[in-house]
Amino acid sequence: MGDSEFVYGSSLSLDSMKVIAESIGIGALGDDAAKELADDVTFRLKVIVQDSMKFMHHSKRQKLSITDIDNALKIKNIECQYGFIQPDSLPFRFASGGGRELHFIEEKEVDLSEILSAPPPKIPLDVSVRAHWLSVDGVQPTVPENPPPLSKEAQKLESVDPISKLSKPTNKDAAGKPMCGKAARLKASESVHVKQLATHELSVEQQLYYKEITEACVGSDEGRRAEALQSLSCDPGLHEMLPRMCTFISEGVKVNVVQNNLALLIYLMRMVKALLDNQSLYLEKYLHELIPSVSTCIVSRQLCLRPEMDNHWALRDFAARLMAQICKTFNTSTNNLQTRVTRLFAKALQCPSQTNNESGVGPSMVTTMKESEKTPLASLYGAVQGLAELGPEVVKVFILPRVRWLGERVEGALSGLGGADRLAAGNLKHQLLKVLAPVVRQLRQPPDLSDDYKRDYGYLGPSLHQAVAKIRSSPSAGGSGGAVAVVTCTPPLVPSAPSPQQSHITHTPKTVETVASRNVVISASPAPQSPAPSTPPPQKFVIVSQQKPPQVINTQPASGAGHIMVHSSQPTLVRSQNSVVVTSGPASGAAPPQKVVVVGVQPSHHQASISAPGQVSQAPVSVVAKPVFARGSGGPQAPPELDDLSHLA
Amino acid sequence: MGDKNTPLLAVLQLLRKYNLKGTEDILRKEASLGDVEYENLDLPEVELASILTAHHTESDPYSYEFAYDTLKKFVENSLDINKHELSTLLYPVFVHMYLLLIIYDHNEHAVNFLEKFGTEQEDYCQEDLKRLSIVKHKDQIKGNELAEIYSTNKFVVQLSRDASSQLKRFLHEQKSSTVIINIINNHIQVEVHDGPGRTQAQVRATTGGILGEATRNENRTKVYYGLLKEPDIQVLPAPVEDEEEVEETPDKPKKKKAKKDNIFMKKPKSDPNAPPNDRIPLPELKETDKIEKGKALREASKRIQLGPESLPSICFYTLLNSGHTAVCTDICDDSTLLAVGFSNSHIKVWTLTPVKLRGMKSAEKLQDIDREAGDVLVRMMEEKDRDTCRTLYGHSGSVYKVAFDPFKTLLLSCSEDSTVRLWSLQCWTCLVVYRGHVWPVWDVRWSPHGHYFVSAGHDRTARLWATDHHQPLRIFSGHLSDVDCVQFHPNSNYVATGSSDRTVRLWDCLTGTQVRIMTGHKSTIFTLAFSVCGRWLASGGSAGELLVFDISTGSPSALLPPLHTAPIHALAFSRDGTVLSSGSLDCTIKLWDFAAITEEANGEEAGANNSIQKEEKFLLRSFATKNSPIKGLHFTRRNLLLAVGSYEGSA
Repeated sequence: MGDSEFVYGSSLSLDSMKVIAESIGIGALGDDAAKELADDVTFRLKVIVQDSMKFMHHSKRQKLSITDIDNALKIKNIECQYGFIQPDSLPFRFASGGGRELHFIEEKEVDLSEILSAPPPKIPLDVSVRAHWLSVDGVQPTVPENPPPLSKEAQKLESVDPISKLSKPTNKDAAGKPMCGKAARLKASESVHVKQLATHELSVEQQLYYKEITEACVGSDEGRRAEALQSLSCDPGLHEMLPRMCTFISEGVKVNVVQNNLALLIYLMRMVKALLDNQSLYLEKYLHELIPSVSTCIVSRQLCLRPEMDNHWALRDFAARLMAQICKTFNTSTNNLQTRVTRLFAKALQCPSQTNNESGVGPSMVTTMKESEKTPLASLYGAVQGLAELGPEVVKVFILPRVRWLGERVEGALSGLGGADRLAAGNLKHQLLKVLAPVVRQLRQPPDLSDDYKRDYGYLGPSLHQAVAKIRSSPSAGGSGGAVAVVTCTPPLVPSAPSPQQSHITHTPKTVETVASRNVVISASPAPQSPAPSTPPPQKFVIVSQQKPPQVINTQPASGAGHIMVHSSQPTLVRSQNSVVVTSGPASGAAPPQKVVVVGVQPSHHQASISAPGQVSQAPVSVVAKPVFARGSGGPQAPPELDDLSHLA
Repeated sequence: MGDKNTPLLAVLQLLRKYNLKGTEDILRKEASLGDVEYENLDLPEVELASILTAHHTESDPYSYEFAYDTLKKFVENSLDINKHELSTLLYPVFVHMYLLLIIYDHNEHAVNFLEKFGTEQEDYCQEDLKRLSIVKHKDQIKGNELAEIYSTNKFVVQLSRDASSQLKRFLHEQKSSTVIINIINNHIQVEVHDGPGRTQAQVRATTGGILGEATRNENRTKVYYGLLKEPDIQVLPAPVEDEEEVEETPDKPKKKKAKKDNIFMKKPKSDPNAPPNDRIPLPELKETDKIEKGKALREASKRIQLGPESLPSICFYTLLNSGHTAVCTDICDDSTLLAVGFSNSHIKVWTLTPVKLRGMKSAEKLQDIDREAGDVLVRMMEEKDRDTCRTLYGHSGSVYKVAFDPFKTLLLSCSEDSTVRLWSLQCWTCLVVYRGHVWPVWDVRWSPHGHYFVSAGHDRTARLWATDHHQPLRIFSGHLSDVDCVQFHPNSNYVATGSSDRTVRLWDCLTGTQVRIMTGHKSTIFTLAFSVCGRWLASGGSAGELLVFDISTGSPSALLPPLHTAPIHALAFSRDGTVLSSGSLDCTIKLWDFAAITEEANGEEAGANNSIQKEEKFLLRSFATKNSPIKGLHFTRRNLLLAVGSYEGSA
């Protein structure tokens, strides 16, 4: 009967009255009596609830509580209802049967002796007072006690739909800069409403904070670094500084990749990790800076001075994990992030044998093969790792078809003389086995024959066979770390990702036309952007240049130290594949002492290792601190040496 | 006896009573009533009357809908200039029609009537209609607060002369139905005012009270809203206002503004609106009080001038681990103590400075002290017994308000147990229990000069007390519903009360009479604050609306845009009166440009009557907290804003 009166209140139904009557032992309640009762009870209940609302309001609450009802009963001279407690939510259970529907609260029988024998509950904490600044001269400081100035949702909305910001220009609620003083007067005087420029002014405190944080992050004091990273990953209100932070990271990576400064690269990646972990930040607008940096740390041919000694593998693993995290968090149907990242790694694994079969016509065929074969093992390792983190499906589609060729590379390097190469090949092999084994186990049916594997997978066949057999026998039936971790983030499989062959076909003619000479000029002001700890001379020149024959095509994205060619924001507009010119300096525009890094390489296309470390002329940079970083968990950090051992094992 | 025949029998009885034989016979034949029934015609006189009145035109349930429809059409077709005023008639007529339908037992029709026309009523009436819709039976009217108010009081509607004559003409034409005429005669008081009909905004600004608008006659009394002449204090430094004046000179537009604000502050001696100092007997200042006053003045001289360009800093005190138990807060005038009342009936006092809270020595030890010593006040305090927080026990119900006296030695509290208690901040014990209120006491406030205090409660009264009397000096009664908040005027001569009947009333402490009734709120009023100059009264309601009334006329001078989304429970004026801060349960503090508000109100007075503009320009800033509803606001003497809220956990 309450249906039609929805607007002006509902009332108890006759059935409810009958059920209640039954529960107190009145068997047959007539309809008339029930109606009379229902009306009366409804009226009285509503009056009581109305009165209890007053108590709720005066207790400065917005949620009615049982004490309010008790108080309302009290002023009506009715005894309170004892024995009710108020849990956060009342779980109404529903039951139906015999044509009747019931909602009830389940009441469990309580064993008194159990309660009596149980240890007394903890005394609740005493009320205490704590003071903080909600506003200082009209500006809300971004301290943890205050709500974040721009909520993550707002940041997300802004990056997805920038128009939303324009539609409400005077948002006084958001605690940014107050519209007072100069800004207000400016606003009043200018009648033409132009699009508001993003204010990138940082307060003095913010500048200090930026300086402290960046110094701590790349400095030598591990304790301070931990604090700084903690601050980056937890503090709200960093979003105003985010552009600077991202530029710092991207510039730092560019400089330190050239200088092969492993430690600093690791520190920078940890900064990325911290920013990603910060709950109050939404990084989508800055991915165009972060993704190239991270991918550089995954697939760069050289990340350290002594590839045979230093554990740059750990950095690649870590960065690959970061990349997977970025893909997982920010992939949308519009930015196709994961597709593009996958394509990037897949390109690094470009298999020359396939290109030979498909498109190998004309004079460029031989050179193509040779150039591709020169993809360093370290880059291959990075690409494999990067793909592996994206999930087993990606592994199946992009790594497995190339395993034969990869095996040839590994075989060649293992049998070769170069110590570093052998180490790299060993690592690559280990990594391939680790990544592929779980996938292969899923693909193939149990009777594993070593010969089949050999036939299908080439050099790596036998080892893969062993690895698969080992997994099958182990009870946990799971792959090792990486593969398991990525199962959950099975990617929405890249429909538009071109198969390697197609990509090559389309790719080849394009790159033929691109610039022949590769040169990299990176200039950065020394402080604080240049994190290289030991650069005493005010000016330093390192020149990198690579001369190539004009027909050189299909350069690997990660083949050169300074070549960072991921432009996540513009898929079609790949900026001049062969050269990257980066300049950075303080925003003021003044000309500080600049550092120009130029690396030069001999023009020879038939030289086996075109940019081997020995041929890069550059000032040596000493690594100040041992690169230490946490892998994923952010917990206590294991030295990279240990990681190294695990890789080689 | 069949129900159907009862009215007929009643008519027969009536005919017999008046000895109209012929008609009686005809009726008997026509109705073919048997002799048996005819014989026992002995209906009691009362029942007879009730049956017969039921046949009055008003008992016809269908005539109501028709009549209301006609009235609606009349309002819609009237001239634009009168339309808005006339439309205020609709709601009371509607309500009384509903109640009449209930009274005449047409319950089904009443419900239908409410369904049909209820949604057409103004949005702020909907809450009342919901409360009224509970009443579905004659007997329930008596128990329902709202229905009783409507049936025992007259609803006030203000009409211009034109509008009222139009209405008269309309009613004259309505000969067929007397329903509307009867309702307007019995339950509605039409106030005719000279002047043109008001616009929609103007009408809306003042309507909203449970019984409509305030009548103008009620607000004729002169109110001395000026400030009292402050007694001279020896340690007085250079007058504060002069200093401000010097500071302001470079800024020209500001100076003009400041001048207006300071009118009352600057010339307390010649203020024509100030009451005589001895209008209300005020207590003599004690030696210690004078020292305190001197301190306050010195502090005030260091005050920061606030304005839209220099906003105050806000220090927020968060009560941790309190959940929903913390109910009310107060900070003493010199901002050194914080008191919090809890729903578990105790009161806690914290010190906000490094100075710890000290208790007084025991009686035996006090006897040993040399009373003539200069530092007797220091000596009588216990040396060892120090604490940053002290708890006061005594109430037996939620503590709804705590208040420090102006001199920081006493604390008042009121509670659900219907008592007001006076506590000593030296012995940390309860001194007096004031009993008088019958039901929970919602609010209690000190007079700015101490000694007097006022309390308000669920019993629909506010009471004025003196600390040395255990019975109230005055009882202010007149509100139609709970009195939810009270506030003393800065000159201690008046008390303002806000109520669930959505009116704000101003009472004269001397005579105990109501001198202003101010309508315009559309929801229960929970907090009141007088401006520093004493002329303006800001009030915050449960729907988050904020109004500023002009005491001199009793009309609302500004309806600030309703930007709060939850009840406002805290209001505070900056010490220089330029910024109004409001704190709400929606976890935000908003700062309003009060100088601009009053300036606009003054400007309007010169031109048109009180026209209200909803402009967001009054809002200076809004600050959100992390899920800590604001329960108290306080400006320090140097214009730092202190806010108190209890953290309710992360959402």
